[in-house]
Amino acid sequence: MDTLLTADVAANSPRFRRRSSTFEDAIHDLPLRESMAPAQLYSTESGRLFHSGRIVIATVGLPARGKTHISVAVARYLRWLGVKTHVFHLGDYRRATVGPGKDVPDDYFFINASPSSVLLRNKILKKCREDIYHFLEHENGQIAIYDAVNAISAGRRSLAKEFAKHNIQTLFIESQCNDERIIEENVRSVKISSPDYAGWSDEDAIKDYLARISSRIPHFETMEEPELHWIKLINAGERVVVNNCAFGYLSQRIVFYLLNLHIKSRRTYFARAGTTKEENAYKADASLSPEGVDYAKKMSDTLIRHREYERQAIIDQGGPDNALKPLTVWTSTRRRTVETSNYLASLGYRVRQRSQMSQMNPGVCEKMSEHRIRLEYPEEVAKHEADPYHHRYPRAESYHDLAVRLEPIILELEREQNDLLIIAHESVLRVLYGYLMACNATDIPKLEFPRDEILEIIPASYNNEAKRIHIPDLPNNMIPGSPQDLQIPVPPSGTTSPLGSLGSPNTTGASTPATGYQTPQPLLIRKTHVDPSS
Amino acid sequence: MTVNGEFNHDMRRVPTGEFMTPSRKTNGVGVQAEDTKICVVMVGLPARGKSLIAQKVVRYLHWLSIKAKTFNVGQYRRTNTPNPSADFFDTSNSEGERLRRAAAEAAVNDMCKWFAEGQGLIAILDATNSTKKRRRWIQERCDAEGIETLFVESKCDDEDIIMSNILEVKTTSPDYVGQDPESAAQDFRNRIRNYERVYQTIDEDEFDLTYVKLIDVGKHVIINQIQDYLQSRVVYYLMNLHIRPRSIWLSRHGESQYNLNGKIGGDAELSERGEMYARALPGLVKQSVGDSRKLTVWTSTLRRTIATARFLEFEKLEWKALDELDSGVCDGLTYAEIEERYPDDFKQRDEDKYNYRYLGGESYRDVVIRLEPIIMELERSENILIVTHQAILRCIYAYFMNVPQERSPWMEVPLHTLIKLTPKAYSTQEERLKADIPAVSTFREKGSSAKHQEAA
Repeated sequence: MDTLLTADVAANSPRFRRRSSTFEDAIHDLPLRESMAPAQLYSTESGRLFHSGRIVIATVGLPARGKTHISVAVARYLRWLGVKTHVFHLGDYRRATVGPGKDVPDDYFFINASPSSVLLRNKILKKCREDIYHFLEHENGQIAIYDAVNAISAGRRSLAKEFAKHNIQTLFIESQCNDERIIEENVRSVKISSPDYAGWSDEDAIKDYLARISSRIPHFETMEEPELHWIKLINAGERVVVNNCAFGYLSQRIVFYLLNLHIKSRRTYFARAGTTKEENAYKADASLSPEGVDYAKKMSDTLIRHREYERQAIIDQGGPDNALKPLTVWTSTRRRTVETSNYLASLGYRVRQRSQMSQMNPGVCEKMSEHRIRLEYPEEVAKHEADPYHHRYPRAESYHDLAVRLEPIILELEREQNDLLIIAHESVLRVLYGYLMACNATDIPKLEFPRDEILEIIPASYNNEAKRIHIPDLPNNMIPGSPQDLQIPVPPSGTTSPLGSLGSPNTTGASTPATGYQTPQPLLIRKTHVDPSS
Repeated sequence: MTVNGEFNHDMRRVPTGEFMTPSRKTNGVGVQAEDTKICVVMVGLPARGKSLIAQKVVRYLHWLSIKAKTFNVGQYRRTNTPNPSADFFDTSNSEGERLRRAAAEAAVNDMCKWFAEGQGLIAILDATNSTKKRRRWIQERCDAEGIETLFVESKCDDEDIIMSNILEVKTTSPDYVGQDPESAAQDFRNRIRNYERVYQTIDEDEFDLTYVKLIDVGKHVIINQIQDYLQSRVVYYLMNLHIRPRSIWLSRHGESQYNLNGKIGGDAELSERGEMYARALPGLVKQSVGDSRKLTVWTSTLRRTIATARFLEFEKLEWKALDELDSGVCDGLTYAEIEERYPDDFKQRDEDKYNYRYLGGESYRDVVIRLEPIIMELERSENILIVTHQAILRCIYAYFMNVPQERSPWMEVPLHTLIKLTPKAYSTQEERLKADIPAVSTFREKGSSAKHQEAA
């Protein structure tokens, strides 16, 4: 009865191992090979960050309080920091056990449930907990997020006790709402999209859903236990109460993250900056060329058209008239990105500049052709090809450096309530996209953001979705990456055409020696285009 | 800086206040500064560590180049009443009440003026602010000026903590200068009692305020209505503070081959004498620690620090963020070579060493930004030994010792020396222990390009 149907797909595959591709949010995948995470600062032999032990984060709260959203968001952030984290949604186990289309018995959540319901409950819990132990003890997992209702205080105490026997700490995160509007909004956006409610009006569906919750889970005790470690989020972060959490680096870090998280849904768009007069000079900070100005206008018009089209689509489906949130624009402080936003600013959109968002520093390779880089730095090229995410050319920044530098932006990204257009250099877009879609660090340098596309990320509580919007009528020479991208990262040798060689499917695997896991197809999937002009 | 496409020295300079306010100097396109102004209002009875928190927050923000200032109401009050007795703080003493109110008003007025002049982003109003009425007045006053308020209440019922704070206060507070410590402590306890009578903790009536309530030094924390990222950042910092006694040891790596040749940067091996220091370090640490405390050792990812720490029998952690300042094109050169090849740069760096970014490399300011997670982690941790590099050590040292930016890049941090820092409530104590192993001096005075300067 809770979470999205898409969860079933995951639940039915053994141990939730799905193969992802870069245009799918990989937050529910377990990485197949060990590699450093995007913003990981150090590594240890065990694969765990050793100043904080193994932790189970257990959610607490009635359905429609955003538990799944919080679980997934926290997992996304922890993985980004390099903490091996996996989410175990108890609902997935429930559905997988009772079978598709069926539901658990009515007294399933009751304290005085019938013996058969209790047996079923224990069977489901056991399976989920076994997987948690397996992940923490045999797969070097560090944090398991246990997404369940955990409604009763006695149950929570025994849960913490049981994990403590295995030397695992338990941190509870409760999401409590006493603002009816937040609950209704959440039910509207997440729960009633299921086929059960096909043909119902929104209002009736919400009412029915809430009535079902209160009849099926009549007992709920909010967290008060002084000896347990817990964080209570009240009304989507309006107030946060933290109890007894000073025990670890990660719990403080999670609180910091949660202070910036909200559960409202909004969209993020990524667009490249226009072309400049001085295309390959990093230090010059050049202004837009006339073509660049033209691009800025076309990109903006496309986005505005697309948003209008989406708004209309929501209204057609019976959604509210104010379906779209206002749009805010973020740029770096580099001229090309600021000038690309000028057209939107002239239309009254709010533009903010963020100094952390400037592009990756290309170091010595600035203004050098690929040929020359290969000639002058053959060893560096070899190192780069072995690990394009962590390698730095002399005096350059690596993607890893960039990711660490972007962390405040990640938190502000979570905090932003409006829809957001980010205009930045491709290197910055790659890293931010990597966060939002839980990409493997090794895939991030290969992501491609051609100039004739705006990327739209649509959040959902279970996973994010990415969509590409085509910008029509751009001159061909503008579409491939800027010359800098052609030099750094350096494409594998033997690739003759500089255009599109980056991030395009690499059948030989030359650029990723760590084989065994190849991104099947990078982002350039024309059929996912939405052309608002058509 | 108007030239496009042509190299201009200003381009390498990072503007000040970069952390939260994209500066107007970064480009000519008219940057909108983020005009968040926050007044952090301390709330709590005397001896609850309010001034300590205020002092630490200011130090942290300064280190990050966020302009911050404490407005201590007690100081305003002291101009009229330098050594008040506890009676002064009795609420039935109307004259005392009037004077204290006047002091609060003067402090708030000065603070508003400070903001209006564009002097800073965060002000800290350090006073007891113990009544709802007083807090509402501050909030309304700030609201009218477009200043956000963040109330920070320190609530503590742990007698041990309160007592140790009282002991600290009676020996350091200007209110008790020249008085007998025993009677001072007694008077101070009476003063607290007077406050206790009217003290109102922040509660449901104030649900609309942005506040963080720290109960028993962070054991229980309530955070309400956080409005923006900068506020969340301050709260995060507050949550990481602890008051358990501990020390931090700092050491540079042993002398390296590059040090011998006077070259900067690189990833060189230790010299023979550097190797000797590595072998001597466990003994030196033992001598300085004095007991059997377990330390954790943090090194950079460069060979010379890892080699220096390798004989220490503690847990070790390699941090990328502790790597030496990246000197860009100058990596592997001597100062004389830099002066010869990049004379303008050499001069520029001397003029503003903190903001100067090596061609393709880093500035001290860049280093501070990447060290921020390290500082947060240090605040949270207990006994740590850091083996790292000159520039990195200067930045970490500057944080603990509150060294201003103009001075921190010029500090002398000799090789083969173990520094012990012990944070105390109002300052940090320092001890230096020299290993008896000679090493070159890598210190370079302003304007000099000498390969090795004689240690003074």
